[in-house]
Amino acid sequence: MAAEANGAPSPAPAAQDGTKTAPAPANPTAAPANTEKLTAAQLKAKAKAEKAARRAQVKEARVAAPAALSTQEKGGAADAKGGKGKGKQDGQQAQNKGGHLQAHRPSISGRRPSMPAVEKDVRSGIPECFSHIPMAKRIPTSQAHKDVHPAVLAVGQQMATFALKDSISRLKATLLAFRKVIESYETPKGNSLSRHFVPHVLNPQIEYLTECRPMCFAMGNAIRLLKGKVNKFDIDTAEDEAKEGLLEWIDFLINERITLTEYAIARNAAQSINEGDTILTYGRHRLVEKALLEAKNNGKSFDVTVIDDPFECGGQELAKTLRQAGIRVLYSPNLGGLRPKVAAASNVFLGGEAIFANGSLHAPSGTADVAMAAMNAGVKVIVLCETINFDRDRVSVDSLTYNEIDPERNTADCFRLLFDNTHDKYITGVITEFESGGGNSPAQAILALLRKQEDPLID
Amino acid sequence: MAPSQASHVPTLDSLIKAFNNQLLEASIESLIFLLKRRQVKGDECAKATAHILRQVVAKSKWHDVDQLLSRVQSAGSRVARAAPQEPVIGNVVRRVLGLIRDEASEDRNADDYGSEAASDIQSLAPSAPLPQRPPPVPVRPSPSVIAGGGLQVSKSMFNLLSVADTDSPMTGASTPLSQAQPASVHALRSEVMDGIEEILDEINQADDQIAGFSEIQIHPGDYVLAYQPSRTVERFLVKAASKRRFTVIIAGLESPTHGATEAPYAALRKKLNGAGVKTINLASNGLMAYIPRVNKVIFSAKAVYQNGGLLVDSGCCIAAQAAHEYLKPVIVLSPVYKFCPEDPSDEVSRGELGNPSGYVSYANGPAVDALDIENTVTDYIPPELIDVYLTNLGPQTRHHLASILADHYKTEDIGFNLHLGES
Repeated sequence: MAAEANGAPSPAPAAQDGTKTAPAPANPTAAPANTEKLTAAQLKAKAKAEKAARRAQVKEARVAAPAALSTQEKGGAADAKGGKGKGKQDGQQAQNKGGHLQAHRPSISGRRPSMPAVEKDVRSGIPECFSHIPMAKRIPTSQAHKDVHPAVLAVGQQMATFALKDSISRLKATLLAFRKVIESYETPKGNSLSRHFVPHVLNPQIEYLTECRPMCFAMGNAIRLLKGKVNKFDIDTAEDEAKEGLLEWIDFLINERITLTEYAIARNAAQSINEGDTILTYGRHRLVEKALLEAKNNGKSFDVTVIDDPFECGGQELAKTLRQAGIRVLYSPNLGGLRPKVAAASNVFLGGEAIFANGSLHAPSGTADVAMAAMNAGVKVIVLCETINFDRDRVSVDSLTYNEIDPERNTADCFRLLFDNTHDKYITGVITEFESGGGNSPAQAILALLRKQEDPLID
Repeated sequence: MAPSQASHVPTLDSLIKAFNNQLLEASIESLIFLLKRRQVKGDECAKATAHILRQVVAKSKWHDVDQLLSRVQSAGSRVARAAPQEPVIGNVVRRVLGLIRDEASEDRNADDYGSEAASDIQSLAPSAPLPQRPPPVPVRPSPSVIAGGGLQVSKSMFNLLSVADTDSPMTGASTPLSQAQPASVHALRSEVMDGIEEILDEINQADDQIAGFSEIQIHPGDYVLAYQPSRTVERFLVKAASKRRFTVIIAGLESPTHGATEAPYAALRKKLNGAGVKTINLASNGLMAYIPRVNKVIFSAKAVYQNGGLLVDSGCCIAAQAAHEYLKPVIVLSPVYKFCPEDPSDEVSRGELGNPSGYVSYANGPAVDALDIENTVTDYIPPELIDVYLTNLGPQTRHHLASILADHYKTEDIGFNLHLGES
């Protein structure tokens, strides 16, 4: 016993030390990993920033102290990676680590005062008549709310820079990031997941994402579903069980509404292509591309006309891909000569970002012009769209109600909206994952369709 | 190569100056080359054609009206064939031919009192070469006006007027028939030259005259969508800006890949902004998104066909179509000399193909190899999309285009372009 008692004190303090300092060694190991990735220039910038920080110590101290305090208080809940009870230094390092995932990380100090001015400038160039329309904005990660999860930070940056562009890839990235958020979530004592998670953890993430770029309608739908799911948990549900359930649900949603949907729509659309058809499409949409390739794989021979937007040039990629698959492609870089080209087509396939409750299609700018020209020429206009993109609460009759300004062209010198609104009378049919056998439903029927197909596993 | 050559390229003005010192043939050839290289294009073609025809009338050898007509026809068709994408050339040639016919018939009426009927009947024969200066046919100097008017519908009112004119006292001053030939050739030449000057004046003043109607069309607070504003549209907007406060949305910027240092249409925007008119440059392909905000769409035509359809720069069709969908007025600015007395051909409705290298670079080997790339640069707009044709004679609707055409062209000359294919 004595030996044990004697022996015990020596390892015990060590163990205690170990637990106390556990965050400390963890950080140094993380830090070298960071520095390895840093280039010389970045190191220099960092050193400079640190110097500036030291010089502005007096000033900084006042600002930093409360900030550090608040991180200490909430850090445990919000920032699981950072460990508990860390000081200001640790907090900064943790932020550094999170921020380092993106290349756009600015140095910590010295940026803040200049930011508000820049922010004002960005929107001040927008002509007044379009000033109500939102615009994506690059927020330096240092400006982000401290509760934002690093994975969400990364997704937000990618959305702001349009690296994630179409609604479905944004939805998928968001869901995967939320998965990470849920994995790292720990319910604080005295709270339950179903009451605490949404207002204190999920909402800051959503706010940040919305600030980076206005949410697409699919994201809105998914978040609504997710919140409903969380609220459904009984207040006494064990945390692990609830988390497990949420993670499973997210996987299920991604699988059902994104992965399988893509396949089903491509198959349905491919069935509606006939031998010898000429299919006209606008820009590049994932589903249209999949459908055309699927039809080609089924052994059908047909021509494709790709009309492109010279300000996006996605159609060029599509044209090349199709060409490589052995499809004859006519590529038109702009909307010039649209009428004769549309008249020569047998079907027009369009991809959509969203469909509103009144059946109008929200799609990349120019889609409405193509759809209208096609309808006037008596050519079928078929829209491919996942049902997760359907918005059952909103109605839009013109393109200025729900839209986005191109962040790169936002002044009177050069202005552009990203989307337009195609009236449902210019849409012959919508192909969704629910319809089988190549049939499709008119755009007005989406509400009925959604009600009929409500999925007990998801809702 | 373009910048270094730019200084050597003769501009239209220097070319026109050079016309006076050159042989006729050299002048025609140099214009044809400029047209083929598209260094003279659009509105300039009309001016250039009028100038070259003036040279033809002044310098070529001719002894009577028929020779003059055939000289003008052959020179005109050579020029028109050099630029088949510019229907305006044919219009100006037709105008000049019509002018010659008018002057000639006036002359004849002046020459001999009794041959009004004869000359009228001769001018009836559609596109047949006029017979050699006719010996005075012994036709009764009857109320031939009515006879002529009954036969030829489109000209009836004009005959009334012109005959009334020639019956006026000036007939007394005319030269005796026996000596008519050389003197009347001389007189005809100067008359025709004067007439061509008038056509040139009309061409030069057309933009200002159209701009005169701007106040009526543009109201305070309007949002006006101007698609690729041409000089005509620019004048129109600037004139309107002196009286009204409105917003101009300029659409149809060219391919964005060429990084221009200056924002497009900077000069126009500066003028408009100076007058207190706001401008917005739209860098957008589709236009449907903006139309709900727009009150009217304005652009200029390259040509107006007799059915009311338009030949325009590509993209205007998108603007017209979108505006039509939202029932916003579409106003086309087109001087009368752009009205063609013919129907659009299939080529017109298919559109002209331009150089695609601005969109797909030749450096992009796989794309150039694999793709069929079509960059359409002209569009045909069907008449039902157009609400107002604003000409230098005032606003017109498509139902009255026929009367404008009848006023400006002779039926004999309408087939002019049909002869283009031959020889």
